[in-house]
Amino acid sequence: MLSRLNDTPCSGDPAEGPRAHGATPDLGCADVAVDADAGERRIRERVAAFEELLGDPRDEGNPFGNAALLDADERGELSAEAERALAAFGLNDEFVPSALGGNLDRIDGLARVLRPLFRRDASLGLGYGVTSFLAAIAVWAAGDEAQRRRTADLLRGGGRLAIAYHELAHGNDFVRNEFSARPDGSGGYLLDGRKDVINNAGRAEGLVLFCLTAPPGQRGPRSHSVLLVDTEGLPEDAWRVTDRYRTVGVRGCQVAGFSFERCRVPGDALVGRQGGGVETALRSFQITRSVVPGMVLGGADTALRTVVRFATSRELYRRSVLDIPHAQATVASAFTDLLVCDSICLAATRAVHLLPEQTSVYAAAVKYLVPKLLQDACYNLSIVLGANFYVRDGDYGVFQKHVRDLPMVSLGHAGSAACQATIIPQLPRLARRSWTQGTPAPEALFRTGGGLPALDTDRLVLAAEDDALVASLLAAADRLEGPGEAGAELAPVRALVRALVAELNRVREECLALGPHDRTAMASPHAYALADRYTLLLAGSACVNVWLAQRQDGGAGGDGEGFLANPRWVVAALTRVCRHLGLPLPEEADEHSEWMLAEVLGRYHEGRSFDLYDTHLAGPLVDDERAAARH
Amino acid sequence: MPAVTPLEAEYRDWLVTRLSGYLRRPENDINVCIPFSEYGMDSVAALSLFGDIEDAFGLYLEPTVAWDYPTIEALARFLVRAGKDGEL
Amino acid sequence: MVTTPRRSAPAQLDWPLPHPSWELGARLDRELGDPADDAGVHSYQESIRLDEGEEFPAEQLAALDLWGLPEYYVPAQYGGRLTDYQDLSQLIRMLARRDLTVAIAHGKTFLGAAPVFLSGDHAAARRLARLVRRGARVSLGLTERTHGSDILAGELTAEHHGDGLRLNGEKWLINNATRGRLLSLLTRTSPTGGPRGFSLVLVDKDELPDGTYRHLPKLRTLGIRGADISGVVLQDAPVGADAVVGGVGGGAELVLRTLQVTRTLCPALSLGAADHALRLAVGFAQERELYGRTLAELPLTRHTLAGAYADLLLCEALNTVAVRSIHALTSELGVTAAVAKYLVPSVVDDIVAELGALLGARSFLADHYAHGRYQKLARDHRIVGIFDGNTMVNLYSLVVQFRALARSFLAPADHRPRLASLFDLERRLPEFDPAQLVLVSRYGSSIMGTLPAALAELRAEAVDRPALARAAELAEELDRTARELHERIATCTSTVGDAAPSSFEDARRYSLCFAGAAALGLWLHSHRAAECGPTGELWRDGLWLEAVLDRVLRRQALGGPARRSAPAAGGATEADLSERLEARLIEQYQRGSLFSLLPCPVAEGPVSC
Repeated sequence: MLSRLNDTPCSGDPAEGPRAHGATPDLGCADVAVDADAGERRIRERVAAFEELLGDPRDEGNPFGNAALLDADERGELSAEAERALAAFGLNDEFVPSALGGNLDRIDGLARVLRPLFRRDASLGLGYGVTSFLAAIAVWAAGDEAQRRRTADLLRGGGRLAIAYHELAHGNDFVRNEFSARPDGSGGYLLDGRKDVINNAGRAEGLVLFCLTAPPGQRGPRSHSVLLVDTEGLPEDAWRVTDRYRTVGVRGCQVAGFSFERCRVPGDALVGRQGGGVETALRSFQITRSVVPGMVLGGADTALRTVVRFATSRELYRRSVLDIPHAQATVASAFTDLLVCDSICLAATRAVHLLPEQTSVYAAAVKYLVPKLLQDACYNLSIVLGANFYVRDGDYGVFQKHVRDLPMVSLGHAGSAACQATIIPQLPRLARRSWTQGTPAPEALFRTGGGLPALDTDRLVLAAEDDALVASLLAAADRLEGPGEAGAELAPVRALVRALVAELNRVREECLALGPHDRTAMASPHAYALADRYTLLLAGSACVNVWLAQRQDGGAGGDGEGFLANPRWVVAALTRVCRHLGLPLPEEADEHSEWMLAEVLGRYHEGRSFDLYDTHLAGPLVDDERAAARH
Repeated sequence: MPAVTPLEAEYRDWLVTRLSGYLRRPENDINVCIPFSEYGMDSVAALSLFGDIEDAFGLYLEPTVAWDYPTIEALARFLVRAGKDGEL
Repeated sequence: MVTTPRRSAPAQLDWPLPHPSWELGARLDRELGDPADDAGVHSYQESIRLDEGEEFPAEQLAALDLWGLPEYYVPAQYGGRLTDYQDLSQLIRMLARRDLTVAIAHGKTFLGAAPVFLSGDHAAARRLARLVRRGARVSLGLTERTHGSDILAGELTAEHHGDGLRLNGEKWLINNATRGRLLSLLTRTSPTGGPRGFSLVLVDKDELPDGTYRHLPKLRTLGIRGADISGVVLQDAPVGADAVVGGVGGGAELVLRTLQVTRTLCPALSLGAADHALRLAVGFAQERELYGRTLAELPLTRHTLAGAYADLLLCEALNTVAVRSIHALTSELGVTAAVAKYLVPSVVDDIVAELGALLGARSFLADHYAHGRYQKLARDHRIVGIFDGNTMVNLYSLVVQFRALARSFLAPADHRPRLASLFDLERRLPEFDPAQLVLVSRYGSSIMGTLPAALAELRAEAVDRPALARAAELAEELDRTARELHERIATCTSTVGDAAPSSFEDARRYSLCFAGAAALGLWLHSHRAAECGPTGELWRDGLWLEAVLDRVLRRQALGGPARRSAPAAGGATEADLSERLEARLIEQYQRGSLFSLLPCPVAEGPVSC
């Protein structure tokens, strides 16, 4: 089954659609560089246009401003005005492959375009947009041409899809799903059962349902299928939307459930093969798990920005709060953690294109690590905010909203233990095959911009065959030890990378020693700890390689001399990674708190994003002259 | 105002040195008539001074001594008296 | 500093275990009724209903008044029943395990009244005692809109006017500012302020003329949504000269001394919340099926539950010693309170986060699972780390004492407080004397100081009891860590503007070492008696001690003042420890006991299997 998100110039007659093309993808044939710059330009323009639309967060009249969003959150609604504006902007186009008329051709670009929305409000991010994408990806990956066209038309017309893979009773053990679709004898299916905690359940025009299609007693990896159901055509008496769930975060999202009873749907609802549901789901997850953390990062940006505003304007003990070294360090560390997170997000989203055979483990790693780091950073930031953290409205009320939202968008369809459980069984094999002699990733993996080969979901496999990100850590270590990068100013990077490589060797030994029971749900806590350490090593590799790529040639999107090419940020980032690993810090380690803080304040005052892209944010410049003068 | 006795001067010099160390300011930046708080030594930090004085001069003082005598001048004068009276 | 050798002749016991304070807590819990019974006033369901409507728990508070809870806020010398602060701590803990909003809304009266009771102004204390015992609510007004935790920047002024004073200004973010009848206000009595520029004024709103005060609207808060967190504005509000408590200019000192006591009691709120979280998590793990087993059978789940339980016991051990030290080591409460108030809420925030991950989606659903209790307690609990001195304030108050702490640890003075009653749960505590409260401990921390001798004692015990070997190893590592830490902080010369970020990190580490020392002392002095009781298995072979020291050292290894807990580590001994501990956890759960070192039934009763 072939499915490609976009069409490259050499992929045959566009009229025939991607499915007309042979099963072997031809990644190298597109003129990546030329196309790429156009693609990169488009992403940047789209991000800028979107940011402009979303406007000044502190403008009380702005439907995307803090006041309006907090108010909608209190009411447990998504603002209709905001949703209309998103529809007019054509946000859903981001979720539709370019071959089908949309904008989706790069997964890293998708994360970047959605980030401004998550910077404002995760409820809108999920409730208006991402939920539809999570559902649609199964159709892009496994659907036939008619289904793809129908789904594209639905989304581009402003419609919504809901996704129901999980059942509350079975959580991530979704093979145990009870919801069934039995052949009705005349080519269609009869749906029976419940789906709970489904975003947009009551208002989606299309449903992507994960159903048991095998007869009772034959439950296994081939017993489930994915169905795409049009709610309009459903017999009214055979299904209903169940009561809404109220949630502590993303309160605006319309989370409810469905109940079906002998509900007949046509045979063409089947997406992909009958019995292919688990595989479709797992491959879809590789994309969604890779991309969502990069969007969610936006919420942490706002949390940090809110604390900086508080800390520069509030006096405590006759100083601004930001004069207190502990507050400075917390702010600087949070920013560093955001860069660490964005580096691994970058690598994971670009890996979907460049290393699809390895994505299963990276997707799980980024989905595990990023929410954890962001939540920890927000916890530490909340301490700086003190009592203001606890107040739901006013100047800093938006902070607590992001703190409530973050764990929910992070949980989504895969909690942290589920992601670790995806990683653990792969560790011994990767340790054996790749961690001493794997092939490093192409440098393009670490560029903050620049073209990518077309996505080919068929190349997403369920178990990674190699581990280029680890190989790239080793390659970086070699390069830093070599004559080309012998400068004394790089000694701290070298020492930190050495510490990571030493840790990798320890993790490797322990992974090789994992017993067979560790490949199952009965895995030991120790195996979970190894997965945790492994993800941090991947993050370390991403950081050092992002920096090297910038240093090399400025990459696309860097100038070779900018912030990201400076060794200080990568020293700070690797120091944080070593801290998170609980490693004794090499003497050369340095969080560069003052330097990072200066960068935070510069970006804060000039309205630029706290991530790798340093993009312009809407709204007037911060006019806190007093604080600006002091720092 | 009575002249500063050698003992009082000694206390003053000691306090100036001590404060300059805590506050990371040059000694000649520190005016003996200006309250500790003006130098950024907040009330909680000022409470820790008594222990240093006790260590250096063997004087047994209340922790709040730097609250009650909030400048170097006042504190030094008090220490002279405290030394004479024994434990206060 | 040495630990006094234990005397163990039963004839000398002041009271046998189980401990009367834990029994008092159990009685309150029982008399409030089964919280799972939806019909009860003090039911979980009612708590959720009030929270959603942001409704003040007036009925609950009235019922607690009827029960006689305010009596425990009033020292016996003023006619109340407060003789042992352990009683009050356990009462707060049991209330908090049901509903933090109720515990805080009621307990706030103690916080408001405490400065008066501790001031030594007997006339004011007796007046206030009468009102409190009749159910009057008292609130504590320290903070203002723009000054946060920097209470000496306050601008509410009290000026002499005729025979009395006139108050002008505003207090904001005050618990029960509207509902409280009385307000203990920190007021500026000298225009230049400074540590001697403030005075504590007890205002009875019932006696203020109309138009001299008004309330600021209730704030909408992340948690304890039903609580009355509001403010008050005073305009030429007249009070008599006798409203000044603790002398003109004595307000800051009185407040800081009082906070040492109240900060020692706040951790009880966290202990209650942790019990609630763990009870929900164990229940969920036992009923939830995944991959063909219950969640509770998965090694990771068991490890997570055991880790949370060990953290809870760590907090309880520290808190028990801290509360006892109100009586037995009053002069060092400035250190002890800062450690307890920082560490316990922070660790419990971690517990709540970790167990929330175990509960998954159910921890976010407002009404679907267990009435949505988890998400409420998670939001509610964040207040405990914020009010009555937040994390930064507490860590900083340790940082400024570093030199003295290091000095007394590395070169102990000839100062030998009597610590036997501090650590021995069977010993009656000396009467609390507020006059012993000092702002800074002259001799550092004697609790930390017990560490070297306690290590020697544990080693000696381990000679005959090999089961203690691992605990002794961990204690040794703790001792080494503590020594290195004290050597490092000996040179610290910090003020708030200059305190290096690493000094806050050191204060965090100090708190962990302190908690380890407290746990070690508690086990050594109480284990013989406790081993014979219903929770004996926790104490035998140093089980809880080993688990707690393990958690302390694990947290030491991680950076950042509030960094979350470590990833799970490995090792056969550790797996074994985790399993043995988990067995005790499950036993306490099924018996319907508080998760505690000491026996204490909860009102739900045993869990039917």
